[in-house]
Amino acid sequence: MTEEDEMEFNYNEVVAKVADCLVRAGSTFRQDKKNAYKCAIANEELERAKWNLETILDNAEVAEHDRSPLCDDTGIPHVFVEVGPNRCLTGAMMTAIQDGVRQGLIDLPGRPMAIMGDDAGRIDMSGGISPNSEDLALAPFLVKEVEEDVLRVHILMLGGGPAIRGITHRIFHKHNLQVVLDEIVARAKDGTRLLGCTPCALAVGVGRSQFEATSMMMEAMVYGDFSKQNEMEKYITEKVNESGVGPLGLKGKTTVLATFMKVGPQRASGVRVVAIRPGCCFEPRHASVEL
Amino acid sequence: MEIRTITAPFTDEVLSSLKAGDIVNVSGTIYAGRDAVLPRLVKKIEDGTFAETGIDLQGGVIFHTAVSRAGVGPTSSNKAELEGTMPQLTAAGIRMFLGKGELKKETIEMFDKYNAVYAVIAPVTALLNSKVLSQKCLFAPELGMEAFYELKVDGFPCIIAAAHGEILK
Repeated sequence: MTEEDEMEFNYNEVVAKVADCLVRAGSTFRQDKKNAYKCAIANEELERAKWNLETILDNAEVAEHDRSPLCDDTGIPHVFVEVGPNRCLTGAMMTAIQDGVRQGLIDLPGRPMAIMGDDAGRIDMSGGISPNSEDLALAPFLVKEVEEDVLRVHILMLGGGPAIRGITHRIFHKHNLQVVLDEIVARAKDGTRLLGCTPCALAVGVGRSQFEATSMMMEAMVYGDFSKQNEMEKYITEKVNESGVGPLGLKGKTTVLATFMKVGPQRASGVRVVAIRPGCCFEPRHASVEL
Repeated sequence: MEIRTITAPFTDEVLSSLKAGDIVNVSGTIYAGRDAVLPRLVKKIEDGTFAETGIDLQGGVIFHTAVSRAGVGPTSSNKAELEGTMPQLTAAGIRMFLGKGELKKETIEMFDKYNAVYAVIAPVTALLNSKVLSQKCLFAPELGMEAFYELKVDGFPCIIAAAHGEILK
């Protein structure tokens, strides 16, 4: 690190802040999520559905108190950075953020699930699993310029179950919004039925390419608020809930707690690329910190 | 709401009394394994070398989970390596699988032949960790968190999702 970089930020402070942010992401329900659970409990008629939701909420209280993992699949760390007009994200700072993620994985602790080896060995796991939580590499950074003059790091911990049931695929819209919404609902119904860890926070991104759609989906998870739902989000939630999959897939009214949808720029063509992630009952495991 | 406590390994009598929809606390000695290790155990059953492991599967429970410093929690039981190994493990003595997610109809029908059941356990790691009394690796330690473990547990909360050919409705 150069002297100039050192003058721009305090490395130890960034590492500590990011580590704390990761622990909060992996162990804490935000208040809007707690409120959504309480509403769902009140709304459920089936006794076991209520019990499932109450158990998940109890677990969140214990995890928050102990600063311990909500789920043993502590997730793959994803970092989303907001950069204001007069703020700077340097390579040195990105390194400090990565080091903060490593420290956070030690502190949480994260599940040791980094696969070692070369390309082939990492695919078939013949390279083995590292015993160290902190060896889990974070996903590529996403960076977004914002109007607020801030440098804010968001951490999302993405679990394996929703990755199995997520899908990024094209939809031919036929110049009709309803066609796209109904296809999202159909795909979400399939995903949530097999997910097991419902109720779901459904994340949806619509873009012009697979990359853009997935980026939009990530942004939807970063900015999503359980208490603020637009008409499209409400429609998707209501329609998927008609499936009756319910908490833990054991029937009930609450298959989806909320939908977080971000629509990006669109292509002048008949296709929309749509990324859907049926987040589990703990997702989005998200926290943020200003640097 | 009535919540029974049942202690593993299970007798046929206990298994016969379970109904889809029952909420139970599972205590006693259970096993933990998932994608990497269960196919290995099945291979040993099939090639006649399972006795070398010294593991007693009779009346036993397999919890589909990793065991790590992050704790325990169910992975999806409908993954190929997990649902696909249920028939052989059940035939060899296992009588309850703890996991999550929907199983195939033929799997549920297979359970009925052996008086075996499927129970769903919430992925409530923070709660479950407080109920694990001890853990011991029994097989394939080189797999790390995906090795086969014995857990002594006190009151894992579960819902019987399938029993005697009936699926929770």
